[in-house]
Amino acid sequence: MNRSGITRRKFIIGSAVGGASLVASNYLDFESWATTTESSKDVKVTPTLCDGCGNWCAIKVYTRGKRIWKAEGIPIAGNNLGRICSKGHALLHEVYNKDRIKSPLKRTGSNKFEPISWEQAYREIGQKVGEIKTTHGPGSFFWLQYPEGNAGLCSRFMNALGSPNVFSHASTCFLPRNIGWWVTTGSAKPEHDLEHTRFAVFLGRNIAAGLRLRQLSDISKAKDQGARFVAIDPRFSELAAYTHQWIQIRPGTDLALMLAIANTLIAENLYQKDFVDKYSQGFEELAQSVNGYTPEWAEQKSGVPREVITKLAHDLAAAAPQAFIHRGYHGALGTQYKNSFQLVRAVACVNGLLGNFNQRGGLYDPPKVKLGKLDPQKFPEIQELSDFMVDGSGANDRYPLTPVGLGLTHAIPELALEGKLKAGFVYHNNPLRTCPNPARVIEGYRKLDLLVSFDYVLSETASLAHYILPESYYLERDDVVHTNHCYNSKQVAIRQPVIEPLYDTKPMVTILTELAKSLGIGNSFNFTLEDYNRAALAPLGITLERLKQEGVIDLGGNWEPGPPHFKTPSGKFEFVSSTLKDLNLPAVPEWEDPLVVPDQGDIHSFRLIHGKQAHHTHAKTINQEYLKEISVLNDMTRVWIHPDRANALGIKDGDCMTISNDVGKGRARALVTEGIHSDCVFLPSSYGVYSKKLHTAFGYGISYNDFLPTYFEPVLGHCMSNEIIVRVEKTPA
Amino acid sequence: MPRYGIAIDTTKCIGCHSCRVACQNQNSLESNETFNWIKHLDRGRYPSYNKQFIPLQCNHCENAPCQRVCPTGATYTSNEGVVLVNSKTCVGCKYCMEACPYKMRIIDHRRGIVEKCRLCIELVREGGVPACVTTCPTQVRVFGDLDDPNSAISRFIASTGAQPLRPDLGTLPKIFYKRS
Repeated sequence: MNRSGITRRKFIIGSAVGGASLVASNYLDFESWATTTESSKDVKVTPTLCDGCGNWCAIKVYTRGKRIWKAEGIPIAGNNLGRICSKGHALLHEVYNKDRIKSPLKRTGSNKFEPISWEQAYREIGQKVGEIKTTHGPGSFFWLQYPEGNAGLCSRFMNALGSPNVFSHASTCFLPRNIGWWVTTGSAKPEHDLEHTRFAVFLGRNIAAGLRLRQLSDISKAKDQGARFVAIDPRFSELAAYTHQWIQIRPGTDLALMLAIANTLIAENLYQKDFVDKYSQGFEELAQSVNGYTPEWAEQKSGVPREVITKLAHDLAAAAPQAFIHRGYHGALGTQYKNSFQLVRAVACVNGLLGNFNQRGGLYDPPKVKLGKLDPQKFPEIQELSDFMVDGSGANDRYPLTPVGLGLTHAIPELALEGKLKAGFVYHNNPLRTCPNPARVIEGYRKLDLLVSFDYVLSETASLAHYILPESYYLERDDVVHTNHCYNSKQVAIRQPVIEPLYDTKPMVTILTELAKSLGIGNSFNFTLEDYNRAALAPLGITLERLKQEGVIDLGGNWEPGPPHFKTPSGKFEFVSSTLKDLNLPAVPEWEDPLVVPDQGDIHSFRLIHGKQAHHTHAKTINQEYLKEISVLNDMTRVWIHPDRANALGIKDGDCMTISNDVGKGRARALVTEGIHSDCVFLPSSYGVYSKKLHTAFGYGISYNDFLPTYFEPVLGHCMSNEIIVRVEKTPA
Repeated sequence: MPRYGIAIDTTKCIGCHSCRVACQNQNSLESNETFNWIKHLDRGRYPSYNKQFIPLQCNHCENAPCQRVCPTGATYTSNEGVVLVNSKTCVGCKYCMEACPYKMRIIDHRRGIVEKCRLCIELVREGGVPACVTTCPTQVRVFGDLDDPNSAISRFIASTGAQPLRPDLGTLPKIFYKRS
């Protein structure tokens, strides 16, 4: 080497130059890097809100020059207390993803698009909307969104257009959870005083993957103070690794466990009598209803040993009122089983027996900020149109408890096929990937005369849209004032641009106001986002400038324990729900079977369950290369199967399995683990991207929606996403 | 001078990989380059089945095998006890990677050198803490001065009996683990 005058080092560096030049702009070697934060004059810090999931964590984003570098959490923010998850860090890179849409697009064929101007897009959409409105009426329009910051303005847009059909993802996510709590306590989403609790149970809810940074942080503190936590789940979830005990349960039988705990608390006189006497109604009926649901009975249903159930009841009672069952989200209490609604009611009732409402270490209604409104003298008020939607949400004879504005997202394809919906606007949502049975969803959405998407990449749904009006990425845009950080105090927060938009994209509120003009409803949007935000902040006595400087502001008004108040018809905690009674529905919790069960006589028959991983949200993060790399490195698309069942099928860890049913067929490799109930297989829920325009994620893994029949649960209409039976076999070599 | 280390409470780790990406951003790493990993450990049969997530990173050994074998002296220990690589003198021979019993070093393909966790020393020198510590949703990591008996890390180690990985190797790591 030395003879030729080339050292080994020079050789290596020489050979690496091609690669290095590509990345030199954002890479610093250690020596320059070690001093960079001190010396760099071009480092700028902008507070804003993350868009990795629905939590909208408050973050400070650092830029170096014009390029985004890193982020830190804002310590006072109620939802994240200065922490950020992997998605929050990784999505900073997403702004530079080469898959981004760079201007408005018009679809000219299958997966073929031509760039057009905003003016042309608005004009053509306006024309199409006019035609459809004349022929089919405004009731044939729908809006589908992930309901967050700008949701109120999107509803205003639809109401101005004359349609009540504003949908969210609720029917594939949380619907029963909200309604069950609401009819029982008057509050759809009670919060938890985790930090001060002594004993808490998570039933299928996995806050360590469907991440809640605040709650995780509070558990950490409570654990240090000696509190105990239990995870009840068919599988050993990430949360189970964080709690003191994992109790494995047969999927779909959580209701049996809750009924037996209620039974034990009542039979052994362990409930909080003071609370029950003063603040509740219907205790006697509940006692009667749960009379037969003994721990022995629940053991038969759930597979949880009777002594474990009794001990759970005793531990809860001993710590009450500083004890609770978590209010749930998608897991178990969401849109998973036919009996999920009864389950939510039962969970709420057990919490009632623990008397933990508005108590230290219990459940409470989080403080709310009342934002101001636009001056009606200058800006017209828009009335909400109707108390029911095209899918029957809110209608007395269909789904009376399902709220307008949430609706049944997975009914849209059906309604399109029936010709009841003709035109749709899809915002922050990807129904082609997140709704059951994609083949049918595609068929339905294809029937629409007009589909407009606001996506920033060509997701499955955007790929089918006639027009795409690309919203600026969250790091490039302003949004409306946000109040999601009210955890135990009143907080307001705001999203603002960290960098200038890289491409010809616009903030959603700008798109809405401009589109409104071409749709003939411009007089309903005669304001700017700044007008709107200033009006929102006016009653709070803080300026928009100050909020933008600080990102999040705490307004005090901290939650304090005290006597509970319930916004129910009776003003009390309702063991017997008067709302359900009026609708002739079961008014006290009772056992209900899941819709389907695996065939015990068939070694190939399994229930398919699903759940999140901490580094992914829905189907929207897997195209991010830092996050996909975590999945690849840790082989995280594998499907979990119990060793006994795997043995019977000749499946070894890592083997390829074929999973099929009437709806779909797919392949996945096996993760053979004791951490899963033998009745089911578990499929992580963020994979299976099939849009060819998402180059990082395309074809990686499969989705549970590929196997989910289209169900409408009878009471609320939700999708019952764990009512799936599949055939599992080893894929022949 | 302080002597910095990290204590890791594995009973609090949920395997979310926030530390990994926070570190990647802080150090401007590519998506497939990382200075920390999470190992999954499965044990037992239900009901005693358990899974633990074990965060791993450079142990910043007092008696660092990587430093001993480095032919150019590129690997060195800073005054604060942080094991670092001088990219100007590293020739990418990978002896250090072979010598590291924990396998906590990676190749920087762009520059043809070896890289590793730097304990975010540039943040620490300004009074901050490493990015993996700040971001952790469950507060798994405790950072501080091992020579100060009143520091949070010294108190944590004293009260929990946290141990380094493979103390039998005599490498004297400055990363400590509480395992139960």
